[in-house]
Amino acid sequence: MTATRMLARDWRGGELGVLVAALVLAVAVVSGISAFTTRLQTALEQESHRFLAADRVLRSGSELPADWLTEAEGRGLQTGQILTFPSMVYAGEENMVLASVKAVSSAYPLRGELRYSDEAFGPVLTATSVPEPGTVWLDSRLFPLLDIDIGARIAVGEAEFTVAAAARTEPDQGGSFLGFGPRVLMHYDDIAATGVVQPGSRVEYRQLYASDSPALLDAFVAWLRPQLAPGQRLLDVSDGQPGLGEALQRAESFLLLAGSLGVVLAGVAIALAARRFSERHNDYVAIMKSLGATSINITRLYGSSLFLLGAIATVLGCSLGWALQQSFFTLFGEQLPVQPGAAGLRPYAIGAATALVCLLCFAWPPLRRLSLASPLRVLRRDMPMEERRTLTDYAIGLAAVSGLMWWYSGDWKLTAAVLAGLAATVVLGLVLALTLLRGGRLVGMSAGSVWRLAFAGLQRRGTANALQVVIFAMAIMLLLVLLLVRTSLIDAWQTQLPENTPNHFALNIAPEEVQGVEQLLRARELPGAALSPMIRGRIVTVNGEDLPTREDAEEEGRRQREANFTWSDELPADNTLVQGQWWAFQSDAQEVSLEREFAERFGVVLGDRIGFQVGSEPFEATVTSIRELDWQSFNPNFWLVFPPRLLAPYPATFMTSFFLEPEQKPFLNQFIRSFPTVTVVEMDVVVAQVRGIITQVSAAVELVLAVIMAAGALVLVAGVQASVDARMHESSILRALGARRRLVLGGLLIEFAAMGLFAGLLATVAAELSVYILQAQVMGMQYAPSPWVWPVGIVVGTVLIAGLGVFSCRKVVSSPPLAVLREL
Amino acid sequence: MIKAENLQKRVPMAGGELEILKGITLEIKSGESVAIIGASGSGKSTLLGLLAGLDEASGGRVVINDTDISALDEDQRALFRGREVGFVFQSFQLLPALTALENVMLPLELQGQNDARKQAQLFLERVELGPRVHHYPRQMSGGEQQRVAIARAFANSPAILFADEPTGNLDSTTGSHIVDLLFELNREQGTTLVLVTHDHALAARCQHRFRLDAGALVEGD
Repeated sequence: MTATRMLARDWRGGELGVLVAALVLAVAVVSGISAFTTRLQTALEQESHRFLAADRVLRSGSELPADWLTEAEGRGLQTGQILTFPSMVYAGEENMVLASVKAVSSAYPLRGELRYSDEAFGPVLTATSVPEPGTVWLDSRLFPLLDIDIGARIAVGEAEFTVAAAARTEPDQGGSFLGFGPRVLMHYDDIAATGVVQPGSRVEYRQLYASDSPALLDAFVAWLRPQLAPGQRLLDVSDGQPGLGEALQRAESFLLLAGSLGVVLAGVAIALAARRFSERHNDYVAIMKSLGATSINITRLYGSSLFLLGAIATVLGCSLGWALQQSFFTLFGEQLPVQPGAAGLRPYAIGAATALVCLLCFAWPPLRRLSLASPLRVLRRDMPMEERRTLTDYAIGLAAVSGLMWWYSGDWKLTAAVLAGLAATVVLGLVLALTLLRGGRLVGMSAGSVWRLAFAGLQRRGTANALQVVIFAMAIMLLLVLLLVRTSLIDAWQTQLPENTPNHFALNIAPEEVQGVEQLLRARELPGAALSPMIRGRIVTVNGEDLPTREDAEEEGRRQREANFTWSDELPADNTLVQGQWWAFQSDAQEVSLEREFAERFGVVLGDRIGFQVGSEPFEATVTSIRELDWQSFNPNFWLVFPPRLLAPYPATFMTSFFLEPEQKPFLNQFIRSFPTVTVVEMDVVVAQVRGIITQVSAAVELVLAVIMAAGALVLVAGVQASVDARMHESSILRALGARRRLVLGGLLIEFAAMGLFAGLLATVAAELSVYILQAQVMGMQYAPSPWVWPVGIVVGTVLIAGLGVFSCRKVVSSPPLAVLREL
Repeated sequence: MIKAENLQKRVPMAGGELEILKGITLEIKSGESVAIIGASGSGKSTLLGLLAGLDEASGGRVVINDTDISALDEDQRALFRGREVGFVFQSFQLLPALTALENVMLPLELQGQNDARKQAQLFLERVELGPRVHHYPRQMSGGEQQRVAIARAFANSPAILFADEPTGNLDSTTGSHIVDLLFELNREQGTTLVLVTHDHALAARCQHRFRLDAGALVEGD
């Protein structure tokens, strides 16, 4: 008999349904999620490149060799150039403003998009080219400051330009907007005409490189790197990391977790289905053996059946996985900031490998033992089946589950958290289930006949039932874990960017303007943050040792640099103290609190003394605390915080942030005219983009949750099916003896409901444990117990298992007992 | 020729060992028909299982046509069964998801015969099931299913045919048709026939009879 024929008839007989479904689902979940995250990652990588406006950027304070651009072009790379410098901009005789001029070559930007509008603060459009030579684009806020409109003439240095548009966003404008003047964007070819850039001017040169071939890019970088002089720095993606990083990383963790749980669930379903399949095939094997089939024949037959099954399931699963992620990108792709790249074949290779591992570790052990079935079963059907070496099976299964999860998530903490939950379920489950089932028998003895029947049934199959409870509990636990993590994840995102998140910042507010700004914002009912003080200063020494200046610095991090200081008596909101202690109220001590990454970059630890300079006045402070910031909160954040009294002698300006609806944008004209020296920075485009991405990622999370729910349901079905034959057999004998429908169904209902109840309870305990480990250790989130999950877990467990169980056994009361017995 | 020498079968039980066969010695010559009779629980089916190489003896040995099958391992016995032995069972033991034709083809395919389909077709026609070859067991009556089983048993021309209560699940009329068919084919093929039965009329049609009682051979001719 060929494997194809056997599979075909088993399919007709309905015996392969759960096995195939579980296998297809495992492959679909793995390949789908893997393709999804791969595509999302390529999209994010492109997104990160947008933040550089190129794939690699060479930055320097002095002119860069033009040969390098020639070399890059010779190697087939795209190139571009940027020069930024501060300069006064004049409109007519009276109006002038210090601006940050950026001159860009025609190819700019190599990655990402340049955006402009046809009027100040007008609707944002995507540019197809940079400003023509002879024209400039101005920051919206320059229009009211210079009192001009589109078409006006302005001067930069010795050259005059026509204002052609309002410059809105540049891909590489960076997260840091402090200390920059308003933007003037011009063509690279116009630099010479301005005559502003002279040797020694404070300028920054950038060369941009990009290529679709990473190999070309790497080869060029390898060529370039040895030639770099001090002060020339090559930037890559890590330097342009978007603020979205953490939210998306968490989403990715979640998806990987979901995928891993999907594999575990599918693995359990496969193991259960394969076991039932092999039990049902015991008689077939006995007949074949009596007719002369050797164990090699049997092994070969079932081996090739399994291989065939794996191949079919892989094709189906990969197609389903592809369809899943494709439908997601079709639905939501347009809202993504960049189009996702292709996922390649790797996700499908992973899917196929998963199918192979699942079949080898979950399905093959019970099928392999079929070859050991005794041919004597043809004479004696009551012969015990081949001793199941279940302990080995479980060990193989556990190893496979751990291996797959680890391989798949690449995160041993995540794997450990889930395994801990599973282990708790198994151990607690077996002990609890066996005890309760035994106790139940005693209670049942004195109860009515339905209950007696149910509890007798539970106790008779004590070990099998305990095992079944554990399997149900595992499935429910994994689903609860996913549900809990997903809920807290989405909650966290929503609280991170609530409605009315400030999307505009006002900087350089003079102390005498504070009241006026506050009044104006209040009059317009604009929600915003309190005004924070800000002092521009310089870090010059660490522990009495002078830091190198920018020109001399060998490392990028540890050098003299400018920074914004603030003061506060209290630890700012959104900040977490990770080391040291916050100072006392109204402290007179010379203390400073540093942001963690900033401290690391400077190699500074608690107790180090740092020397600062504000204007020309130096002072020192000791590092007494280190904080972590939530950079994604869109609230004003500072690297350096001092006690108020320490900074009191120095001149401060203030900053605030506020929320504007798109139709309120013209308010900015009035605001800037009222406070011409205040700098307004628009973040609305960025905030909207972040919000959009979070919405899509939430949708992805929900979609994946639904798929995993299906895997969980499959485990429950497979689990119920595993015991259906035995229960049907008993119930039909009862029916034959005259038991009424109510008695039989009632007994079954109580039996399954009791198992569901135990399973639900167990699952809830284990889920809380897993979620605690996951949130605290893996996803870097705050753990909070979820009381609602207790009733949900228990009720869902009871209702679902009872319903599924009775549904699977319904035939016993609808068909004649003999017909049922004959089928078993 | 089948020879059983001091054949024993014991199984471990909770309170010690249960002795099912207590040293059976018998000889069956090629081409003979033999009935093993006895009450329920006397060990008839166990003896049949041992003679046919479906089970391992606890002591003694079985030699069939100069092959000591007690010395073979399970796979070697399976090959031996496929080559030398055919079976007819009380509960037919057809594979439910295979058609009549596929069921008969099974032993031929296991032997690697190329013309399995043609042969199986011939044998089904011989048991008068020609028009039903593509029917599944569940679409057939008990008598028809047993005819398929007989066709399957004779399909690879076995030297010995073992039958375990072949009429046990059939009414008397159908049963006697089946028995006629069995003996007819037995004669045509020159097969040795060993059958286990309760049915004295059936036993009477065999050339020799062995009676078992509590695991011991009490009577034989």
